[in-house]
Amino acid sequence: MASQGHCLRYEGCNFFRQRLVLATLSGRPVKILKIRVKDESPGIRDFEASFIRLMDKITNGSRIEINETGTSLYYQPGLLFGGTLDHDCSVQRSIGYYLESLICLAPFMKHPLRITLRGVTNDQIDPSVDTLKATAIPLLKKFGIDGEYFELKIVKRGMPPGGGGEIFFSCPVRKVLRPVQMTDPGKIKRIRGVAYSVRVSPQIGNRIVESARSILNNFLPDIYIYTDHLKGANSGKSPGFGLSLVAETTEGYVISAELASNPQGQGAAILPEDLGKNCAKLLLEEIYRGGCVDSINQSLTLLLMTLGQQDVSKVLLGPLSPYTIEFLRHLRSFFQIMFKIESKTFEERKGADKVLMTCVGVGFSNLSKTIK
Amino acid sequence: LAAEEPKKPDTMEMPAFADSDDDLENSEEEEIQDSDGDPEDSEDESPDEEEEEMEDSDDEVVVRKPTAALDSGNCTGEDAISSDSDTDEEPPKDMDEGSEDLPEEDAVDEEDLLKEDEDYMEDNDASEDTVGALKWKEDLKKKAAETFLRHQQSVTNLRKLVYGTVVENEDNE
Repeated sequence: MASQGHCLRYEGCNFFRQRLVLATLSGRPVKILKIRVKDESPGIRDFEASFIRLMDKITNGSRIEINETGTSLYYQPGLLFGGTLDHDCSVQRSIGYYLESLICLAPFMKHPLRITLRGVTNDQIDPSVDTLKATAIPLLKKFGIDGEYFELKIVKRGMPPGGGGEIFFSCPVRKVLRPVQMTDPGKIKRIRGVAYSVRVSPQIGNRIVESARSILNNFLPDIYIYTDHLKGANSGKSPGFGLSLVAETTEGYVISAELASNPQGQGAAILPEDLGKNCAKLLLEEIYRGGCVDSINQSLTLLLMTLGQQDVSKVLLGPLSPYTIEFLRHLRSFFQIMFKIESKTFEERKGADKVLMTCVGVGFSNLSKTIK
Repeated sequence: LAAEEPKKPDTMEMPAFADSDDDLENSEEEEIQDSDGDPEDSEDESPDEEEEEMEDSDDEVVVRKPTAALDSGNCTGEDAISSDSDTDEEPPKDMDEGSEDLPEEDAVDEEDLLKEDEDYMEDNDASEDTVGALKWKEDLKKKAAETFLRHQQSVTNLRKLVYGTVVENEDNE
């Protein structure tokens, strides 16, 4: 946090969160130019503006300059402050969009973060809060981030387009992270999941569960999918339903997949049976890709490995997602760290080709925490 | 792919390639002189291989394959980089545009190849009437499938794909 390198420049609206998060963690100012210059409505969108406001809330002393059209942004990060906060997220993206970045930053706050986020809890673009709860939280625990106040709770559900959901996230702070050796994914032990439905018939949840089980039961018996039907004030403003599945391995790793119904008034109606089956197939695909971490958490894992103590961390991943590949490039420019990337093909051909990522942590320590 | 794998062990000889000076090719030049430029004949072949591969494989591979075949694996990944950066955080509209643009940019290279392919396909039909001597043209599809599998199994340098050439890594950003 202390050393302030020279300003990094980027162009375009892609990887907006990555850049701001890495800038905050590395303490380097970042300048993003030409944000949607050729678009009909140029500049940053509402959800990005909301993200910037969130970054401003959790930090102390950040300087943010945006030009009149919103096409260029200068961000000089301050200290990660944390504390008890709340934030209204834009309904254009789900809370997962904001939460993913908060999970990256929360362990390095000065005060433990306790934040209430309002908006869309489940949509078709971003990882849902359910999935993040089931995958990212256990992942953080592997890096030594744990404690009694470590929780992620869905208070109200909100589906797009109306939103109206609410979650509570609290995360303890750590001075240093533990290096990890995650090289043996193990075998799939059991499958858990949540079939949620709001403002629709409560029977839909059961129909989803039934159809998902019809596929997954062919492979293993230990499947339990909860149905979560919320009513009244806890059900948000729009109807919808969906399924989030999580497969746990014998070594304690989790692999997830999810699907949500089309937002009201957009696209054709989806049958709950189809949704359940498709989601089960997505889970099988994700298991095929394999590794110790599923594709949505690849970049989080790599970030935490980078920020670990000066010790070797190893993780076995499935095929790298495009987002992860760009994240690796960003990690190099912000932290000057390059991973050793080895392709692994197993003789038994268990699923897709795996990648073994190895790095030595930069020895990042949470300076804000020690200052009392 | 699974369907093609069993064929693999059957093929004894390596597929004729751009850089090979096979007797088989020469014999083809002498006996039927229907191909446009004899010196270019060897160049004609690599597009053929690609074309066959494209027929076999699905869309993803079609986009990726031509470059890989041209510079023999371990490609610099520039195409992959550009497409990757387009995909992820953009709203779906932009993504569609981006993915449509990319092939058009590459099309300059591919147009020539495709034209040559069309000529070649006619040759192939004509040559089937002529007896013997065209051994290299037999089982082209099988050979292409084999090449494709070999390319897939060859270890790609992921580090190079992600970070660009390691030597010039400082300049890249």
